[in-house]
Amino acid sequence: MNNIEIIGAWISVLFTLSILSYLYKDNPFYKSAEHIFVGVSAGYWASTFFWTQVYPNLFGRLWPASQMNSNDSFLLTIWYFPYHVIRNLSTLFGLVKNDIFPLTGIESGFEEISFSYLIPFFLGMFMLMRLIKKLSWLARWAIAYTVGMAAGLRFYGFLSSDIVEQIKGSTIDLSAGPIEIINSLILIFGTLTGLLYFFFSRKDTGLISKFSKIGIYFLMISFGASFGFAVMGRISLLIGRFNSLIEYNGKEYYYSSLWVLVFMIVTLAYWTFKNNDKQESVN
Amino acid sequence: MESIKNLFINIGTINRRWIFLIVGLSVLLPLLFPINIPIQPTSHSQQVYNALNSLEPNSNILLSFEYGPSTKPEIHPMAISVLRLLFEKGHKVYAMALWPDGLFMSQDAFKQVAKEEYNKKYGVDYVNLGFKPGNEAVVKGVASDIRKLYTVDSQGILVKDIEMMEGIQNINDFDFVFSFSAGYPGSKEWLQFATDPNNIPLSTGCTSIQVTEILPYVENEQILGVLAGMPGAAEFENLIGKAGSATGLMAAQSFAHIIIILFIILGNLTYYFTRKKGRKY
Repeated sequence: MNNIEIIGAWISVLFTLSILSYLYKDNPFYKSAEHIFVGVSAGYWASTFFWTQVYPNLFGRLWPASQMNSNDSFLLTIWYFPYHVIRNLSTLFGLVKNDIFPLTGIESGFEEISFSYLIPFFLGMFMLMRLIKKLSWLARWAIAYTVGMAAGLRFYGFLSSDIVEQIKGSTIDLSAGPIEIINSLILIFGTLTGLLYFFFSRKDTGLISKFSKIGIYFLMISFGASFGFAVMGRISLLIGRFNSLIEYNGKEYYYSSLWVLVFMIVTLAYWTFKNNDKQESVN
Repeated sequence: MESIKNLFINIGTINRRWIFLIVGLSVLLPLLFPINIPIQPTSHSQQVYNALNSLEPNSNILLSFEYGPSTKPEIHPMAISVLRLLFEKGHKVYAMALWPDGLFMSQDAFKQVAKEEYNKKYGVDYVNLGFKPGNEAVVKGVASDIRKLYTVDSQGILVKDIEMMEGIQNINDFDFVFSFSAGYPGSKEWLQFATDPNNIPLSTGCTSIQVTEILPYVENEQILGVLAGMPGAAEFENLIGKAGSATGLMAAQSFAHIIIILFIILGNLTYYFTRKKGRKY
């Protein structure tokens, strides 16, 4: 067991118990853990996004190493000029050694320069313009593109897999056994009455009202099943954390769970005591 | 009778922290004092096993890791078991991730199963392409041209230099897709943008919360079975005959469920009697 693993275990225990301490009440341990988690997640996401997408797929296609070294044409020199500007900025004009943007261009497996990737490059730049008040309107173009593209993509997927395929699946196979046929009938009846509950174009009276009330029962069964699975999932996660706490309470981790727990109980007791004192002096 | 009614009404006023403590203990005690409970595979887990078990040897299997440390207890045991079955049967495993944390989960699973248990060779028996941001756009990219999307793998090796990537161009070059999914993007996106349009078999192992969302596709045979949360993982471990971490944790899960069911019954009785008393006065 190396020191890094032991320190990692102690940090993991501290954060787990800090988050669980919210069950007692909102407290500084919980607040700190929450803020650190949000900050670390944002930083991690930004870094991962840059190294897995922006760097190889955008910069790697715009300024590939293969083209930079292939010949010394005037047009290529102009094309690679912005790359050298970015490189100089990242190295503080040669003051810092930095291999993020190597002198030879970016090697990520692309042979040709993809000029069409200037579009995402500029859309990305537009997104950052939100930080400049006068140019913030440019960000709307990038957002409009993203929203339009996502809507189009999802529409196609939903139409095919969720609507067409599901309607096909709900048809009654009369050649099947009696149990399967009854099952299919219940499924169709439940789907129709459930949909009827959300039909607001007519007044909820008469036959429609009766069927939509039956629909509520189907919906309640569905919500009950979802709730049951949600409880199961949350308990699984709690088991996972408790299991880690037990593991990290071993001798090789210097009984980290126990020590951190004692430290937190003492600190929280002191914090509660001080807060009560403050409350009384205010009153 | 009146005293019983009052007891239920009083139970309704207890501090909620006692409930947290009892649920916590119901999870902790079975972990500290483990007991074995019998596990019976459900039809959905059996369906996953049958689908994977009936694949021709040396098939190309694409595994997608869409989970992170927060859902690791539920899904990671599934990943370990599925990898064990695939390597046991001699399939070629291609991994990728739609979640950034998924990359670390896949690396962890490969380290344990591929390297330590089966001594498989990277680039020949398995490859880890890594994470790509873009959600369903990535799935669509894999469906149309994986080479445009992935030029290097998770270790920075050029994809064109990897032996087992030879002949792999898009989703049609895979015989089976398995998604380890904890939410969006996950199994649903694989179904909608890759496997359904191209008629590629798909199975999934997902978190309990997702199960009701996935079941309509399973019933319609658009997805071949589902491993539902930690119980699903334990059932799959049982099916492949190799008990893992999920099996050992099922006692804690079952005890906690019993306690929660009791609390739900108690809560409803308390609510009923309190409401009745309110009407009376």
